[in-house]
Amino acid sequence: MVLLGKIVLGAAGVGLAGAGVLCSDGLVQVKVIEKEPSGHHIDVIAPAMLAPIALHLAPRRCLAQAIQEIRPYVPVIRAELAALRDSEDMVLVEVKQPGEHVEVSKSRGSIVVDVDDEDKSVHVSAPIRAISSTIEELASANAAPI
Amino acid sequence: MRQTDRARTRVVAVLCLLAAGTVTRAAPAIAAPAEKYLHVKVEDPKNGQSVNVNVTLSMAEKILPAINNHDLHDGKVWIHDREMNGVDLLAVLDAVRTAPDNEFVTVNDKDSNVRVAKANGNIIVHVSDKKNKDQRVDVTVPIRIVDALVGTAKNDELDIAAALRALSEAGDVLLVTEQDSTQRVRVWVDSRNTQD
Repeated sequence: MVLLGKIVLGAAGVGLAGAGVLCSDGLVQVKVIEKEPSGHHIDVIAPAMLAPIALHLAPRRCLAQAIQEIRPYVPVIRAELAALRDSEDMVLVEVKQPGEHVEVSKSRGSIVVDVDDEDKSVHVSAPIRAISSTIEELASANAAPI
Repeated sequence: MRQTDRARTRVVAVLCLLAAGTVTRAAPAIAAPAEKYLHVKVEDPKNGQSVNVNVTLSMAEKILPAINNHDLHDGKVWIHDREMNGVDLLAVLDAVRTAPDNEFVTVNDKDSNVRVAKANGNIIVHVSDKKNKDQRVDVTVPIRIVDALVGTAKNDELDIAAALRALSEAGDVLLVTEQDSTQRVRVWVDSRNTQD
């Protein structure tokens, strides 16, 4: 009985540690609310660390186009993310027009995009650290034969 | 007597530690200059549209050297034709920044008024349309920004990165206002991270 308890505790500990490691880069949240009566409500929260891991495991041929397209902008994105990491929380861009509101902001280490129009509202939040890791994964994939 | 000395020494030591702690905590606050923000606001009141952009100048400073595209390299922009239509742009800028406060150019024709002047350490450009009274452009550039633009760059370059640094050291400044019958544009620098 004691042994079983130890095994359960150990498994729970490993699970908790794994969850802790997975969530160490923060969480990505995508929330879409369709405003029509039968509209969908989608709310996905996933560990941000999954993004670079998924990129690492994805076949290079599937990423070839993304790698080609992002290659010229990697130094600028790097600099931008580093600067954003150091900056305080603030609204970076806000666009308002009748029936539509778009806001891009930095909030608690994440880039947050909120879009609200007549049909739906979308909220996307991604930790800057995870975005950096994902970009670095793509950048390092540049060197690999495509 | 010895005990009194020890007690005094302890009190002095504790006070020194407290003072050191206070100084250590206060030092970054004293040393760190206030962050400056570049704001852009475009409003179209007729259509109820607006675009607001806020960027820290330090962010712009860090990003600029990473952009190497066309004529922009290492935070400097290369002027293709330095002598545009026989006008040496850098020589003109240099002449203006070293000249005393004055009104340099005044053009009044049937369509518009144009005024270029130097006043209170700023270069001021004012353009207004006579036909369309709502249409006007005001540009104010502190001389120290012009100094930075031309100061360290080579002859055919403008040092944008240095200008950003100078801008972050300058006080709050309204750089550009542009207005016509439909929209208003404002570009300014201050120490607030919002446009409210």
